[in-house]
Amino acid sequence: MSKQIIYGVFDDEEVLISSAKALRGQGVKIRDVFSPFPIHGLDPVIGIKPTRLSNAAFFYGMFGTSMAVLMTWYMMIHDWPMNVGGKPSFTWFENMPAFIPVTFELTVFCAAHGMVLSYLLVNKIYPGRKAHNPDPRSTDDMFIMEIQTVDNKKVAGSEIISVLRNTGAIEINQKEL
Amino acid sequence: MSHQSASVREPLILGEKTYHQITEDIAKPIEGKANNLFKILFTISALLALWGVACFSYTIGTGIGVWGLNKTVGWAWDITNFVWWVGIGHAGTLISAILLLFRQRWRMSINRSAEAMTIFAVICAALFPVMHMGRVWLAYWVLPLPNQFGSLWVNFNSPLLWDVFAISTYFTVSLVFWYTGLIPDFATIRDRQVKPKMKRIYSILSFGWSGSAKQWSRFEEVSLVLAGLSTPLVLSVHTIVSMDFATSVIPGWHTTIFPPYFVAGAVFSGFAMVLTLLIIMRKVLHLEDYITIAHVESMNKIIIITGSIVGVAYLTELFVSWYSGVEYEQYAFLNRATGPYWWSYWSMMTCNVITPQLFWFKKIRKSLMATFIISIFVNIGMWFERFVIIVTSLHRDYLPSSWTMFHPTFIDIGIFLGTIGIFFTLFLLFSRTFPVIALNELKTILKSTSENPKPPHH
Amino acid sequence: MSNTKKYWKGIEELQETPEFLNHKQNEFAEELPVDKFLGDDKLVNTNTNRRDFLKVLGFSVTAASLAACETPVRKAIPYLNKPEEITPGVANYYASSYWDGQDFASVVVKTREARPIKVDGNELCSITSGGSTARVQASVLSLYDSNRLRKPQMNGKEAEWSTVDKEVKSKLEATAQRGGNIRILTSTIISPSIKAAVAEFTIAYPTTQVVTYDAVSLKAIADAHLATHGKAMIPTYQFDKADFILGIGCDFLTNWLSPVEYARQYASKRKLSKDKKEMSRHVQIESLLSLTGSNADKRVALKPSQLGLAAISIYNKLTGSSISTAATDKDNAISEVAKELASYKGKALVVCGINDPAIQQVVNAINTYLGAYGNTINTDVIDYTRQGNDAAVANLVSEMNAGSVDALIIHGTNPVYSLANGDAFKTALSKVDLSISLSDVADETASACKIIAPNSHFLESWSDANPRTGHYTLGQPVINPLGSTREALVSLLNWAGNTTNARDYIAKYWEVMLYATSAEIAGFSTFWNKTLNAGLLVKSTEIVTNSVPTVPPAPSSTPAISDIKPVADLFAAGSSIVSSAKSAKGIEVVIYEKTGLGWGGQANNPWLQELPDPVTKVTWDNYVLMNPDEMREKGFNVLMGQEQFSDTVDVTIGTKKLSLPAVAQPGLPKGVVAIAVGYGRTAAGKTANGIGANAFSLVGTSGGYYQFNVSGASISGSTGKYNIAATQTHHTMMGRQIVKETTLEEYKKDSKAGNEDLLLATNLKNVGKDGKAKPQELDLWQNFEYKNHFWNMAIDLNSCIGCGSCVVSCTAENNVPVVGKDEVRRSREMHWMRIDRYFTSSMNEEVAEKDGVGAIDKFLKMEVPATDDSLEVVFQPVMCQHCNQAPCETVCPVLATTHSLEGLNQMTYNRCIGTRYCANNCPYKVRRFNWFRYNENEAFDFNMYDDMGKMVLNPDVTVRSRGVMEKCSMCVQRIQAGKLSAKKKSERPADGSIKTACQQACPTNAITFGDFNDANSAVRKAWNDERKYQLLEEVGTQPSVYYLTKVRNKPATTKA
Repeated sequence: MSKQIIYGVFDDEEVLISSAKALRGQGVKIRDVFSPFPIHGLDPVIGIKPTRLSNAAFFYGMFGTSMAVLMTWYMMIHDWPMNVGGKPSFTWFENMPAFIPVTFELTVFCAAHGMVLSYLLVNKIYPGRKAHNPDPRSTDDMFIMEIQTVDNKKVAGSEIISVLRNTGAIEINQKEL
Repeated sequence: MSHQSASVREPLILGEKTYHQITEDIAKPIEGKANNLFKILFTISALLALWGVACFSYTIGTGIGVWGLNKTVGWAWDITNFVWWVGIGHAGTLISAILLLFRQRWRMSINRSAEAMTIFAVICAALFPVMHMGRVWLAYWVLPLPNQFGSLWVNFNSPLLWDVFAISTYFTVSLVFWYTGLIPDFATIRDRQVKPKMKRIYSILSFGWSGSAKQWSRFEEVSLVLAGLSTPLVLSVHTIVSMDFATSVIPGWHTTIFPPYFVAGAVFSGFAMVLTLLIIMRKVLHLEDYITIAHVESMNKIIIITGSIVGVAYLTELFVSWYSGVEYEQYAFLNRATGPYWWSYWSMMTCNVITPQLFWFKKIRKSLMATFIISIFVNIGMWFERFVIIVTSLHRDYLPSSWTMFHPTFIDIGIFLGTIGIFFTLFLLFSRTFPVIALNELKTILKSTSENPKPPHH
Repeated sequence: MSNTKKYWKGIEELQETPEFLNHKQNEFAEELPVDKFLGDDKLVNTNTNRRDFLKVLGFSVTAASLAACETPVRKAIPYLNKPEEITPGVANYYASSYWDGQDFASVVVKTREARPIKVDGNELCSITSGGSTARVQASVLSLYDSNRLRKPQMNGKEAEWSTVDKEVKSKLEATAQRGGNIRILTSTIISPSIKAAVAEFTIAYPTTQVVTYDAVSLKAIADAHLATHGKAMIPTYQFDKADFILGIGCDFLTNWLSPVEYARQYASKRKLSKDKKEMSRHVQIESLLSLTGSNADKRVALKPSQLGLAAISIYNKLTGSSISTAATDKDNAISEVAKELASYKGKALVVCGINDPAIQQVVNAINTYLGAYGNTINTDVIDYTRQGNDAAVANLVSEMNAGSVDALIIHGTNPVYSLANGDAFKTALSKVDLSISLSDVADETASACKIIAPNSHFLESWSDANPRTGHYTLGQPVINPLGSTREALVSLLNWAGNTTNARDYIAKYWEVMLYATSAEIAGFSTFWNKTLNAGLLVKSTEIVTNSVPTVPPAPSSTPAISDIKPVADLFAAGSSIVSSAKSAKGIEVVIYEKTGLGWGGQANNPWLQELPDPVTKVTWDNYVLMNPDEMREKGFNVLMGQEQFSDTVDVTIGTKKLSLPAVAQPGLPKGVVAIAVGYGRTAAGKTANGIGANAFSLVGTSGGYYQFNVSGASISGSTGKYNIAATQTHHTMMGRQIVKETTLEEYKKDSKAGNEDLLLATNLKNVGKDGKAKPQELDLWQNFEYKNHFWNMAIDLNSCIGCGSCVVSCTAENNVPVVGKDEVRRSREMHWMRIDRYFTSSMNEEVAEKDGVGAIDKFLKMEVPATDDSLEVVFQPVMCQHCNQAPCETVCPVLATTHSLEGLNQMTYNRCIGTRYCANNCPYKVRRFNWFRYNENEAFDFNMYDDMGKMVLNPDVTVRSRGVMEKCSMCVQRIQAGKLSAKKKSERPADGSIKTACQQACPTNAITFGDFNDANSAVRKAWNDERKYQLLEEVGTQPSVYYLTKVRNKPATTKA
């Protein structure tokens, strides 16, 4: 049989979820869902693993902290220690209170930017990238479920379409690959 | 299905709205033509901005001497404006970060423009520390680069340097936070466009966002973490700004109460500016359904709280100066209230402490006119607060022999007006090209908080 | 005036030829062949097309702009043959002597690459002993005054010396032949060789007479002594021998005879230490609050007309005699003074600065009764610095008016400006056939003379001086004359037919007159070199000038001692005093000399103009000083400040009227105003012209003596507003412990009196006693230690008289820019060190306590200085305190100000980005910001902008650029030089071998500087002195500069 993509178009996110549940019940694998806003409770249904971006953020933050410590130590204590208003530039620790604000700011700086950069990378979004949502309405008021027949050897395309229709898809589009 | 919670709280979205309707309403200003009111406002602000640029160029060409400063008062309008703008720049991120953590839904229709305001305000603020330098062309020396004559580095003991890090971090992070939220909305605008030019522009702006489930789940994660990071950041920025004064030895500056007091003041002034802008914007852009009295009222409540904190801080200062028994401290505060600059002190007191208390009355709290006027008062009051702290502390410090007065020149005033011009120019541009409300985020709460949600019929 | 000349297009127009008349209307004489040119069809196919044109255009534009971009090349030309004594980068010092016709100082001139850049006192000189006045300090800048004449002038046009000399000689000869009168009008001459030259001149032209004129005359003192002691002399005074000093209208610390010397003596008597707990008592009876009065232990303010009466009643009280007198406003106070005086017989000194022989006679009588003569007054050593004869000048003017003066040579003085009837003198001058001025500037007088033969600046001249009996100094040029000028000495000699140059003439004179009588040294050249090197020679015996073998007697300035009986008739004197006191009516006016500017000889010197008056703190102006209460009654503004406009008032005496701003002066009695001379110049130069009004015009004359206290004035209401520029606009200490003060009585009991330890309560067990600790003991971290040197400075507030020569010295040493009146008004003066002046207020904690005054009211009242005799004044020099925990250093984002390994708080100018955070955070407000590019901004047309003036800059100190912070560096360049010279000798710098500029200029040695690590250094001793305290020590800045408590010699009082 031919490779084809089936788009189930919904106008209500809750309807979509129930329909998705029904499909999963029949062991249909859902490739993706395009929606104008995040649909809560969808991810487990269509089997999306929780992202680990927050862990990344933590490590970026740690990197910032250590960079700040290293920088202040090198510049103020090691490379050219100076008598600044009698402040103790003998050891980093003695002078540390003065370095707290900068350390904090650098931590946040690295964490935030590091995380957002990796967010853009993993999402593959960047200026000039072409959008690949199947239907422009999916960023307005439509919720579109993408199912590919290649993922579902066992269930027939017609089967899937009928399930979609029964579970409230307001229109169904098919595309030959 | 669960449409019930709407009745519990006041609705945050009025009228009969569908998802599509929201898109329509928010996209209108972008796709529609500019009306005359807009053109007039834009021209005025642009002219103001130009005037500021002219004044600043004159300063660079001639010397800081064209300002009113002197050997005793080394900072006046410059740093006053800096702190004022930074303060204003606090509301946005606070709304989108802290209110997000607290799951305050009413934030959704205001955070976008509040954040925009934050970013523009921080831009204006950042101008002053640069402009006030005697040798602007060497401003980059505050960055941790080795000085060209050898490995002379910057001074990490100096609060001014902390500012450099704080302000730049705050600015960039707010910007990123703001833009992350904008991407899906740009995509919405993109997908509505028929004109190829517009389509191209917005598809670039939208980074090719497609709204797939994976993207959304990451999006939510990132927003949450960014909020988590921004919350302490917001608090840290004004804390560090306040340290410019708190860590010094000048009576009236050397005060441990400054960090919390400055942060509260910042939120206070920030919300006031948000109100000033939104009350106009909702009219001009017809967003009455999304920026409702309920929103205004919630913000007014925050204004009462922060305003009261500020008031308490003022009184605490007075008490502590008396209680400290330090004659310099005592005189400094006596001089604020009764000295040659008494008028600035009392304008501050009236605008910041007395007027916000009017919001205890529900009538006033819910009245747009009253809110608008009071918000203007607060803006003025907060400017005077910084003027009082900076000038009246400096002009009479330890040795009476060097006591003197500060008198602004027209350049001082010109530069300040200039930044106001820049601020409004940017904001007006924003209001015509960006989705001024986080429309997709708003759709998530349509069902729960809309006055009359119109569920799609099947 | 429109130009009436007519130019012809050509001969045709003149002759009005027909074809000219035809073509007259046409723009071009004949038709231009335009059509022909454009009609030329070749033009079409010329190969210069638009493209070529554009190419050419482009090329030429580029070329032009490139040419414009070329930067000016500044060449530094090295010495072709290096002069033996000059090493580039190393300073040379030459001894010389300063004389401005009024003040004498033996000085040492610092030159760099043969360019004098600093003048300081000569420590070998027993008169000044290293001290100097503001005027001496500033004199080096006057050398580079671009208004000085470059060439002689005849009838207002530049001329050659030869022509001038020829003209002058012929005229003089002609005059002498027909027995016409020749007069030399000169300021006091103390140079023996000039006297000799004058003598030679007198031989050449026998009809010559010399008239000596002092703008600020003290002839009365000499004449009073003629009456009381039979000798017209001004004795020398010994304030260091007096336990009790009574000054009657006498500003002896700044503008009286020998200020540096007297200030030094005065201070030395008042210095205190562990082993010396005695000091002199100083009472001042005066009208204007002078600098001297400000330093007095007790001050009695009287109307000028009553000062004489006070003198009489004191004399009566002392001697019990009954010279008729009249009541004064303060009789009780005066009789108390008399009572005190009586107990100081033989140890007291009474000085009076009033130019009235009657009063001076009474004063002499008092001194005689007190046995001052021989003890505190030395009549063997006579002061020659004031030889003016007021009557003779008046006589000269009438002679000139009568047309009986044919030739007049004016030297070292400016009568048109400084005479009360200057205009009269000017008209009289026009009647003189040959009028010659020897002034080096075309000033008010010189410009009215037919010939100006410009004198050289003293730094360009050979000179010698004999300021007092047995005291001789030499002056040598340290730079070639900048213009074609020559010493007055040479001019006079030349006209007298003697063409020897100044050096040879002076050398000859010294060889004959001084070397001959000083056997101690073998060989004149040795003697000469030795003296020239030291700059001076002190001889036990006076050389009587009229024994000069080669030259005939010079007219001796002081009449030879005659054996006439003392003619002092105190009763006559008394009655004259009383009558003049009675005749005083209306408002009385005190005409005084400002500490900085003096009589105005150096008025064109921006350093002096910007030096704030020590008492009023006002710069760049003279003004009418009035009693504050009186001003309030009249509704005048008593406040100072940027936008505080003073009221202009007209002070009128008869036909004379001055219009000046009224400034409040506590301590000035009601009904009296005071105006400073030296301002209102019209031809002094760009700096001084048009500033203030000329108070000399109000000077009166009685009995042939200039009177500087006049009466009968009336004061108008406010005629307008005027903005004066003061460096200090707030005048009281607001009850703060800034200048710590105590009384001698308390100090004797407890040498920590007034300087009790400031203890902070802490919960620390280990520090201080019961947890109370000094701020220094409370530290969050371990301090840096200074292993090698630790430079400290101590300032003895008991010695500082506030004269301000340190400020000028600092300005000269450190290239401190002059910013001008308007910037000073905006509190932007750049002085690295200032002298804070505080008045006491009649409101203080105790009073507030007693009368239950509220805090707000208390502080408002505290701002107002006392106006009664309880008023006391303190001075406090403040420069960078070089804090060892410096608030300024911590806050600089770019490390532009840091601490050196020797404890100096140092500014790195080229690192500074000008955030001004350091200045804000400085509790002492000693940091100065370069608001403009002062040396290249024509709005600041002072010495630094002026090509000539730039030559005074110290090459060892950077000229700061715009937008940079600057401040006192403790003269780090001097420290470096001192360390290097010590290093060459491979030893540590000896204590006192390194002097800061302010320390070196100080006439009273109030400033001590040295290495704290040197256990026996003077500064270390000061540190251990119990009077030592640090300014604002509670702030915890731990300054390297500390002060010694001020002690007033007065009975203990409840501390104010």
